[in-house]
Amino acid sequence: MDTIKSYLESMFLNLPNTPEVYRAKSELLQMMEDKYTELKENGKTENEAIGIVISEFGNLDELAEDLGISSFVQPNSQMPAGKTLSLEDARRYLADHAKHAYLTALGVMFCILSVCGPIFFSTAAEFSPRYADLLDSLGGASLFLIVAIGVGLLVYSNVTIGSWKHLKTERYVTDFATTEYIHHGMENYKSTYAMLLTIGIILCILSVLPSIIFDAIWDSTGFWGDFSGALLFIFVAIGVFLIVMASMKLGSYKQLLHLNEQDTVGGNYVPNQQNEPKYINPTTAAIMSVFWPTVTCLYLIWSFLSFDWYITWIIWPIAAIIQALVKNTMTK
Amino acid sequence: MSISSDVIRGYNDTMILYLLLEKPSYGYEISKHIKTLSDGKYIIKETTLYSAFTRMEKNGYVESFQSQSADTGKHRTYYRITESGRQYYRTKCDEWNLTQEVVEKFIMKGDIPNGYN
Repeated sequence: MDTIKSYLESMFLNLPNTPEVYRAKSELLQMMEDKYTELKENGKTENEAIGIVISEFGNLDELAEDLGISSFVQPNSQMPAGKTLSLEDARRYLADHAKHAYLTALGVMFCILSVCGPIFFSTAAEFSPRYADLLDSLGGASLFLIVAIGVGLLVYSNVTIGSWKHLKTERYVTDFATTEYIHHGMENYKSTYAMLLTIGIILCILSVLPSIIFDAIWDSTGFWGDFSGALLFIFVAIGVFLIVMASMKLGSYKQLLHLNEQDTVGGNYVPNQQNEPKYINPTTAAIMSVFWPTVTCLYLIWSFLSFDWYITWIIWPIAAIIQALVKNTMTK
Repeated sequence: MSISSDVIRGYNDTMILYLLLEKPSYGYEISKHIKTLSDGKYIIKETTLYSAFTRMEKNGYVESFQSQSADTGKHRTYYRITESGRQYYRTKCDEWNLTQEVVEKFIMKGDIPNGYN
Protein backbone atom coordinates (compact mmCIF):
# COMPACT_ATOMS: atom_id res chain seq x y z
CA MET A 1 0.00 0.00 0.00
CA ASP A 2 2.88 2.36 0.78
CA THR A 3 4.20 1.79 -2.72
CA ILE A 4 0.91 2.93 -4.20
CA LYS A 5 0.80 6.00 -1.99
CA SER A 6 4.39 6.86 -2.90
CA TYR A 7 3.59 6.41 -6.57
CA LEU A 8 0.60 8.72 -6.38
CA GLU A 9 2.53 11.29 -4.34
CA SER A 10 5.33 11.29 -6.88
CA MET A 11 2.81 11.96 -9.67
CA PHE A 12 1.49 14.97 -7.76
CA LEU A 13 4.85 16.17 -6.47
CA ASN A 14 5.09 19.35 -8.53
CA LEU A 15 1.44 20.28 -8.75
CA PRO A 16 0.18 23.43 -7.02
CA ASN A 17 -1.54 23.33 -3.64
CA THR A 18 -5.13 23.88 -4.66
CA PRO A 19 -8.33 22.32 -3.28
CA GLU A 20 -8.99 20.74 -6.69
CA VAL A 21 -5.62 19.04 -6.75
CA TYR A 22 -6.06 17.80 -3.19
CA ARG A 23 -9.47 16.43 -3.92
CA ALA A 24 -8.22 14.67 -7.05
CA LYS A 25 -5.36 13.12 -5.12
CA SER A 26 -7.52 11.81 -2.31
CA GLU A 27 -10.21 10.51 -4.68
CA LEU A 28 -7.65 8.72 -6.83
CA LEU A 29 -6.04 7.24 -3.74
CA GLN A 30 -9.44 6.01 -2.58
CA MET A 31 -10.07 4.24 -5.88
CA MET A 32 -6.59 2.73 -5.92
CA GLU A 33 -6.95 1.56 -2.33
CA ASP A 34 -10.28 -0.10 -3.09
CA LYS A 35 -8.85 -1.84 -6.12
CA TYR A 36 -5.76 -2.95 -4.23
CA THR A 37 -7.79 -4.32 -1.31
CA GLU A 38 -10.01 -6.31 -3.61
CA LEU A 39 -7.10 -7.71 -5.63
CA LYS A 40 -5.48 -8.85 -2.40
CA GLU A 41 -8.73 -10.46 -1.26
CA ASN A 42 -8.90 -12.32 -4.57
CA GLY A 43 -5.57 -13.94 -3.81
CA LYS A 44 -3.17 -11.71 -5.71
CA THR A 45 0.27 -11.21 -4.21
CA GLU A 46 1.38 -7.82 -2.94
CA ASN A 47 3.53 -7.20 -6.03
CA GLU A 48 0.89 -8.34 -8.50
CA ALA A 49 -1.72 -6.13 -6.85
CA ILE A 50 0.57 -3.09 -6.91
CA GLY A 51 1.52 -3.78 -10.52
CA ILE A 52 -2.10 -3.95 -11.65
CA VAL A 53 -3.16 -0.86 -9.73
CA ILE A 54 -0.31 1.23 -11.10
CA SER A 55 -0.69 -0.01 -14.69
CA GLU A 56 -4.40 0.85 -14.64
CA PHE A 57 -3.92 4.27 -13.06
CA GLY A 58 -3.78 6.20 -16.32
CA ASN A 59 -2.20 9.55 -16.98
CA LEU A 60 -2.41 12.88 -15.19
CA ASP A 61 -2.60 14.67 -18.55
CA GLU A 62 -6.24 13.66 -18.63
CA LEU A 63 -6.91 15.65 -15.50
CA ALA A 64 -4.90 18.69 -16.52
CA GLU A 65 -7.78 20.65 -17.95
CA ASP A 66 -10.23 19.79 -15.19
CA LEU A 67 -7.80 20.79 -12.47
CA GLY A 68 -6.44 23.88 -14.21
CA ILE A 69 -2.95 22.45 -14.04
CA SER A 70 -2.17 22.27 -17.76
CA SER A 71 0.88 24.46 -17.29
CA PHE A 72 2.27 21.98 -14.78
CA VAL A 73 1.85 18.69 -16.57
CA GLN A 74 2.97 19.91 -19.94
CA PRO A 75 6.68 19.52 -20.47
CA ASN A 76 7.37 23.04 -21.74
CA SER A 77 5.74 24.65 -18.74
CA GLN A 78 6.77 27.86 -17.02
CA MET A 79 7.72 26.01 -13.91
CA PRO A 80 10.43 23.44 -14.56
CA ALA A 81 9.74 20.23 -12.71
CA GLY A 82 13.25 20.05 -11.30
CA LYS A 83 15.40 17.01 -10.79
CA THR A 84 14.54 14.51 -8.14
CA LEU A 85 17.00 13.89 -5.35
CA SER A 86 17.07 10.14 -4.77
CA LEU A 87 16.94 8.52 -1.36
CA GLU A 88 20.51 7.34 -1.86
CA ASP A 89 21.68 10.89 -2.59
CA ALA A 90 19.77 12.23 0.40
CA ARG A 91 21.56 9.72 2.62
CA ARG A 92 24.94 10.75 1.19
CA TYR A 93 24.04 14.42 1.60
CA LEU A 94 23.21 13.94 5.27
CA ALA A 95 26.35 11.88 5.89
CA ASP A 96 28.57 14.47 4.18
CA HIS A 97 26.94 17.31 6.08
CA ALA A 98 27.23 15.50 9.40
CA LYS A 99 30.96 15.25 8.72
CA HIS A 100 31.04 18.88 7.64
CA ALA A 101 29.27 19.93 10.86
CA TYR A 102 31.72 17.92 12.96
CA LEU A 103 34.81 19.35 11.24
CA THR A 104 33.53 22.93 11.30
CA ALA A 105 32.70 22.67 15.00
CA LEU A 106 36.12 21.19 15.64
CA GLY A 107 37.75 24.03 13.69
CA VAL A 108 35.88 26.67 15.67
CA MET A 109 36.83 24.88 18.88
CA PHE A 110 40.52 24.97 18.00
CA CYS A 111 40.32 28.68 17.20
CA ILE A 112 38.85 29.36 20.65
CA LEU A 113 41.31 27.02 22.35
CA SER A 114 44.23 28.80 20.69
CA VAL A 115 44.29 31.47 23.42
CA CYS A 116 44.94 28.77 26.03
CA GLY A 117 48.47 28.24 24.70
CA PRO A 118 49.80 31.71 25.59
CA ILE A 119 48.02 31.54 28.96
CA PHE A 120 49.66 28.25 29.89
CA PHE A 121 53.09 29.25 28.71
CA SER A 122 53.00 32.67 30.34
CA THR A 123 51.97 31.01 33.61
CA ALA A 124 54.83 28.60 33.26
CA ALA A 125 57.16 31.53 32.53
CA GLU A 126 56.23 33.14 35.83
CA PHE A 127 57.31 30.05 37.69
CA SER A 128 60.60 29.48 35.90
CA PRO A 129 62.06 32.92 35.19
CA ARG A 130 65.19 31.33 33.72
CA TYR A 131 63.30 30.20 30.63
CA ALA A 132 60.75 33.04 30.64
CA ASP A 133 61.68 34.36 27.20
CA LEU A 134 61.65 30.94 25.60
CA LEU A 135 58.33 30.00 27.20
CA ASP A 136 56.73 33.27 26.16
CA SER A 137 57.73 32.82 22.54
CA LEU A 138 56.54 29.21 22.68
CA GLY A 139 53.21 30.56 23.89
CA GLY A 140 52.98 32.86 20.88
CA ALA A 141 53.94 30.06 18.54
CA SER A 142 51.36 27.69 20.04
CA LEU A 143 48.64 30.28 19.46
CA PHE A 144 49.38 30.44 15.75
CA LEU A 145 49.82 26.71 15.50
CA ILE A 146 46.44 25.96 17.04
CA VAL A 147 44.74 28.68 14.97
CA ALA A 148 46.32 27.14 11.89
CA ILE A 149 44.91 23.73 12.79
CA GLY A 150 41.50 25.29 13.37
CA VAL A 151 41.49 27.18 10.08
CA GLY A 152 42.79 24.08 8.30
CA LEU A 153 39.85 22.11 9.63
CA LEU A 154 37.42 24.82 8.55
CA VAL A 155 38.81 24.85 5.03
CA TYR A 156 38.83 21.07 4.83
CA SER A 157 35.27 20.86 6.12
CA ASN A 158 34.13 23.03 3.24
CA VAL A 159 35.82 20.71 0.79
CA THR A 160 33.78 17.78 2.10
CA ILE A 161 30.52 19.37 0.95
CA GLY A 162 31.87 20.95 -2.23
CA SER A 163 30.15 18.32 -4.37
CA TRP A 164 26.72 19.48 -3.18
CA LYS A 165 26.80 22.98 -4.64
CA HIS A 166 24.42 22.02 -7.43
CA LEU A 167 21.66 21.60 -4.86
CA LYS A 168 21.66 25.34 -4.32
CA THR A 169 22.05 26.47 -7.91
CA GLU A 170 19.61 24.08 -9.58
CA ARG A 171 16.05 23.20 -8.70
CA TYR A 172 15.76 19.88 -6.94
CA VAL A 173 12.80 18.13 -5.39
CA THR A 174 12.50 15.13 -3.12
CA ASP A 175 9.78 12.54 -3.60
CA PHE A 176 7.41 11.35 -0.91
CA ALA A 177 9.44 8.39 0.36
CA THR A 178 12.66 10.43 0.56
CA THR A 179 10.92 13.31 2.31
CA GLU A 180 9.47 10.85 4.82
CA TYR A 181 12.95 9.43 5.40
CA ILE A 182 14.50 12.86 5.97
CA HIS A 183 11.67 14.01 8.20
CA HIS A 184 11.88 10.84 10.24
CA GLY A 185 15.64 11.27 10.57
CA MET A 186 15.21 14.85 11.69
CA GLU A 187 12.59 13.95 14.29
CA ASN A 188 14.94 11.29 15.66
CA TYR A 189 17.83 13.71 15.76
CA LYS A 190 15.88 16.42 17.57
CA SER A 191 16.29 14.84 21.01
CA THR A 192 20.04 14.52 20.52
CA TYR A 193 20.10 18.07 19.23
CA ALA A 194 18.25 19.37 22.29
CA MET A 195 20.63 17.54 24.59
CA LEU A 196 23.81 18.75 22.84
CA LEU A 197 22.48 22.29 22.69
CA THR A 198 21.59 22.31 26.38
CA ILE A 199 24.96 20.92 27.43
CA GLY A 200 26.70 23.42 25.14
CA ILE A 201 24.82 26.38 26.57
CA ILE A 202 25.33 25.18 30.15
CA LEU A 203 29.08 24.86 29.51
CA CYS A 204 29.21 28.41 28.14
CA ILE A 205 27.37 29.75 31.18
CA LEU A 206 29.45 27.69 33.60
CA SER A 207 32.67 28.86 31.98
CA VAL A 208 32.93 31.69 34.51
CA LEU A 209 32.56 29.24 37.39
CA PRO A 210 36.25 28.25 37.69
CA SER A 211 37.35 31.88 38.05
CA ILE A 212 34.72 32.52 40.72
CA ILE A 213 35.66 29.38 42.69
CA PHE A 214 39.40 29.90 42.33
CA ASP A 215 38.94 33.54 43.25
CA ALA A 216 37.21 32.55 46.45
CA ILE A 217 39.78 29.92 47.44
CA TRP A 218 43.05 31.42 46.22
CA ASP A 219 44.06 34.87 45.27
CA SER A 220 42.93 35.61 41.71
CA THR A 221 46.46 36.49 40.67
CA GLY A 222 49.26 34.01 40.18
CA PHE A 223 49.07 30.48 38.86
CA TRP A 224 45.45 29.70 39.77
CA GLY A 225 44.19 32.97 38.35
CA ASP A 226 45.81 32.23 35.02
CA PHE A 227 44.68 28.64 35.15
CA SER A 228 41.04 29.64 35.69
CA GLY A 229 41.32 31.96 32.68
CA ALA A 230 42.39 29.03 30.51
CA LEU A 231 39.60 26.88 31.93
CA LEU A 232 37.08 29.52 30.90
CA PHE A 233 38.16 29.18 27.29
CA ILE A 234 38.18 25.39 27.45
CA PHE A 235 34.60 25.39 28.76
CA VAL A 236 33.50 27.86 26.08
CA ALA A 237 35.34 25.92 23.35
CA ILE A 238 33.64 22.62 24.21
CA GLY A 239 30.28 24.37 24.60
CA VAL A 240 30.58 26.11 21.23
CA PHE A 241 31.72 22.85 19.63
CA LEU A 242 28.53 21.10 20.77
CA ILE A 243 26.27 24.00 19.77
CA VAL A 244 27.80 24.43 16.32
CA MET A 245 27.82 20.72 15.54
CA ALA A 246 24.23 20.13 16.67
CA SER A 247 22.84 23.20 14.91
CA MET A 248 24.61 22.51 11.64
CA LYS A 249 23.49 18.90 11.57
CA LEU A 250 19.87 19.87 12.21
CA GLY A 251 20.27 22.56 9.56
CA SER A 252 21.21 20.00 6.93
CA TYR A 253 17.94 18.12 7.51
CA LYS A 254 16.01 21.37 7.28
CA GLN A 255 17.78 22.34 4.09
CA LEU A 256 16.75 19.10 2.41
CA LEU A 257 13.17 19.50 3.58
CA HIS A 258 13.06 22.97 2.07
CA LEU A 259 13.93 21.72 -1.41
CA ASN A 260 10.27 21.23 -2.27
CA GLU A 261 8.52 24.48 -3.08
CA GLN A 262 5.97 25.45 -0.45
CA ASP A 263 3.25 26.10 -3.01
CA THR A 264 3.38 22.61 -4.49
CA VAL A 265 1.96 19.37 -3.16
CA GLY A 266 5.51 18.18 -2.45
CA GLY A 267 6.07 21.12 -0.13
CA ASN A 268 3.31 19.91 2.15
CA TYR A 269 4.58 16.43 2.89
CA VAL A 270 5.95 17.64 6.17
CA PRO A 271 3.66 19.87 8.20
CA ASN A 272 4.92 23.00 9.95
CA GLN A 273 8.10 23.39 8.00
CA GLN A 274 7.06 26.90 7.04
CA ASN A 275 8.48 28.36 10.24
CA GLU A 276 11.29 29.92 8.27
CA PRO A 277 10.24 33.45 7.38
CA LYS A 278 10.47 34.52 3.76
CA TYR A 279 11.98 37.97 3.36
CA ILE A 280 10.88 40.36 0.68
CA ASN A 281 14.27 41.21 -0.71
CA PRO A 282 17.27 38.92 -1.02
CA THR A 283 19.62 41.32 0.79
CA THR A 284 17.52 41.20 3.95
CA ALA A 285 17.34 37.42 3.66
CA ALA A 286 21.12 37.23 3.36
CA ILE A 287 21.69 39.49 6.36
CA MET A 288 19.11 37.69 8.48
CA SER A 289 20.54 34.28 7.67
CA VAL A 290 23.72 35.24 9.58
CA PHE A 291 21.95 37.40 12.15
CA TRP A 292 22.40 35.26 15.28
CA PRO A 293 25.97 34.14 14.54
CA THR A 294 26.86 37.82 14.02
CA VAL A 295 25.19 38.81 17.28
CA THR A 296 27.05 36.03 19.07
CA CYS A 297 30.35 37.23 17.62
CA LEU A 298 29.62 40.83 18.60
CA TYR A 299 28.72 39.70 22.10
CA LEU A 300 31.91 37.68 22.53
CA ILE A 301 34.17 40.35 21.00
CA TRP A 302 32.68 43.15 23.07
CA SER A 303 32.74 41.06 26.24
CA PHE A 304 36.27 39.80 25.89
CA LEU A 305 37.68 43.16 24.84
CA SER A 306 36.02 45.15 27.60
CA PHE A 307 35.41 42.39 30.18
CA ASP A 308 32.25 44.29 31.07
CA TRP A 309 30.30 41.06 31.39
CA TYR A 310 27.83 42.70 33.75
CA ILE A 311 26.44 44.83 30.92
CA THR A 312 27.29 43.09 27.63
CA TRP A 313 24.31 40.72 27.98
CA ILE A 314 22.14 43.69 26.95
CA ILE A 315 23.07 42.81 23.36
CA TRP A 316 20.73 39.75 23.47
CA PRO A 317 17.41 41.45 24.26
CA ILE A 318 18.29 44.25 21.82
CA ALA A 319 19.08 41.72 19.09
CA ALA A 320 15.84 39.86 19.77
CA ILE A 321 13.84 43.08 19.40
CA ILE A 322 15.63 43.96 16.15
CA GLN A 323 14.99 40.48 14.76
CA ALA A 324 11.30 40.60 15.68
CA LEU A 325 10.96 44.02 14.05
CA VAL A 326 12.66 42.92 10.85
CA LYS A 327 10.61 39.70 10.76
CA ASN A 328 7.32 41.57 11.13
CA THR A 329 8.02 44.32 8.65
CA MET A 330 10.10 42.65 5.97
CA THR A 331 8.51 39.24 5.49
CA LYS A 332 6.03 38.22 2.84
CA MET B 1 -7.25 -6.55 -29.80
CA SER B 2 -8.01 -3.80 -27.33
CA ILE B 3 -10.37 -0.86 -27.45
CA SER B 4 -9.04 2.35 -28.94
CA SER B 5 -9.24 4.98 -26.21
CA ASP B 6 -9.96 7.66 -28.83
CA VAL B 7 -13.19 5.99 -29.85
CA ILE B 8 -14.45 5.11 -26.42
CA ARG B 9 -13.61 8.47 -24.86
CA GLY B 10 -16.91 9.99 -25.91
CA TYR B 11 -18.83 7.17 -24.25
CA ASN B 12 -17.22 6.93 -20.82
CA ASP B 13 -19.87 9.35 -19.58
CA THR B 14 -22.62 7.15 -21.03
CA MET B 15 -21.30 4.06 -19.26
CA ILE B 16 -20.95 5.83 -15.93
CA LEU B 17 -24.42 7.40 -16.17
CA TYR B 18 -25.93 4.02 -17.08
CA LEU B 19 -24.53 2.52 -13.90
CA LEU B 20 -25.71 5.48 -11.83
CA LEU B 21 -29.29 5.17 -13.16
CA GLU B 22 -29.81 2.22 -10.87
CA LYS B 23 -28.30 3.60 -7.65
CA PRO B 24 -25.67 6.05 -6.41
CA SER B 25 -22.18 4.61 -6.48
CA TYR B 26 -18.52 5.38 -5.88
CA GLY B 27 -15.37 5.32 -7.98
CA TYR B 28 -14.08 1.81 -7.60
CA GLU B 29 -17.53 0.19 -7.74
CA ILE B 30 -18.22 1.90 -11.06
CA SER B 31 -14.89 0.89 -12.55
CA LYS B 32 -15.49 -2.70 -11.38
CA HIS B 33 -18.95 -2.81 -12.99
CA ILE B 34 -17.62 -1.41 -16.26
CA LYS B 35 -15.04 -4.17 -16.28
CA THR B 36 -17.53 -6.98 -15.55
CA LEU B 37 -20.23 -5.69 -17.90
CA SER B 38 -17.69 -5.48 -20.72
CA ASP B 39 -16.46 -9.01 -19.90
CA GLY B 40 -13.07 -7.57 -18.98
CA LYS B 41 -12.62 -6.08 -22.47
CA TYR B 42 -12.62 -2.52 -21.21
CA ILE B 43 -10.83 -1.37 -18.08
CA ILE B 44 -11.35 2.29 -17.32
CA LYS B 45 -8.29 4.11 -15.95
CA GLU B 46 -8.60 5.84 -12.59
CA THR B 47 -7.62 9.20 -14.07
CA THR B 48 -10.18 8.82 -16.87
CA LEU B 49 -12.89 8.01 -14.36
CA TYR B 50 -12.05 10.89 -12.07
CA SER B 51 -11.82 13.31 -14.97
CA ALA B 52 -15.28 12.18 -16.14
CA PHE B 53 -16.68 12.70 -12.63
CA THR B 54 -15.36 16.25 -12.28
CA ARG B 55 -16.49 17.20 -15.76
CA MET B 56 -19.98 15.81 -15.33
CA GLU B 57 -20.29 17.35 -11.89
CA LYS B 58 -19.35 20.72 -13.38
CA ASN B 59 -22.00 20.26 -16.08
CA GLY B 60 -24.58 19.29 -13.47
CA TYR B 61 -25.11 15.71 -14.69
CA VAL B 62 -24.06 14.15 -11.40
CA GLU B 63 -23.84 15.24 -7.77
CA SER B 64 -21.32 14.00 -5.24
CA PHE B 65 -21.85 13.36 -1.55
CA GLN B 66 -19.97 11.74 1.30
CA SER B 67 -21.33 8.51 2.65
CA GLN B 68 -20.30 5.46 4.59
CA SER B 69 -20.10 2.18 2.81
CA ALA B 70 -22.58 -0.37 4.17
CA ASP B 71 -20.17 -3.28 4.42
CA THR B 72 -16.82 -1.79 5.48
CA GLY B 73 -17.97 1.46 7.07
CA LYS B 74 -15.41 3.36 5.02
CA HIS B 75 -16.10 6.99 4.08
CA ARG B 76 -16.28 7.46 0.36
CA THR B 77 -17.37 10.02 -2.17
CA TYR B 78 -20.56 8.78 -3.84
CA TYR B 79 -22.06 10.10 -7.04
CA ARG B 80 -25.74 10.28 -7.96
CA ILE B 81 -27.30 11.14 -11.29
CA THR B 82 -29.36 14.33 -11.66
CA GLU B 83 -32.39 15.00 -13.84
CA SER B 84 -30.26 16.79 -16.44
CA GLY B 85 -27.90 13.80 -16.26
CA ARG B 86 -30.78 11.53 -17.26
CA GLN B 87 -31.63 13.78 -20.19
CA TYR B 88 -27.98 13.84 -21.23
CA TYR B 89 -27.85 10.06 -21.00
CA ARG B 90 -30.90 9.77 -23.29
CA THR B 91 -29.28 12.12 -25.83
CA LYS B 92 -26.08 10.10 -25.73
CA CYS B 93 -28.02 6.88 -26.35
CA ASP B 94 -29.73 8.39 -29.38
CA GLU B 95 -26.41 9.73 -30.59
CA TRP B 96 -24.84 6.29 -30.26
CA ASN B 97 -27.68 4.57 -32.10
CA LEU B 98 -27.26 6.98 -34.95
CA THR B 99 -23.48 6.66 -34.94
CA GLN B 100 -23.69 2.90 -34.86
CA GLU B 101 -26.25 2.87 -37.66
CA VAL B 102 -24.02 5.00 -39.86
CA VAL B 103 -20.69 3.33 -39.11
CA GLU B 104 -22.31 -0.11 -39.41
CA LYS B 105 -23.03 0.53 -43.08
CA PHE B 106 -19.30 0.74 -43.73
CA ILE B 107 -18.28 -2.34 -41.74
CA MET B 108 -17.67 -5.33 -43.99
CA LYS B 109 -18.87 -8.71 -42.85
CA GLY B 110 -16.68 -11.67 -43.70
CA ASP B 111 -13.41 -11.54 -45.60
CA ILE B 112 -12.12 -8.33 -47.08
CA PRO B 113 -11.89 -8.75 -50.91
CA ASN B 114 -8.51 -8.37 -52.60
CA GLY B 115 -7.56 -5.35 -54.75
CA TYR B 116 -8.82 -4.63 -58.28
CA ASN B 117 -6.07 -6.42 -60.12
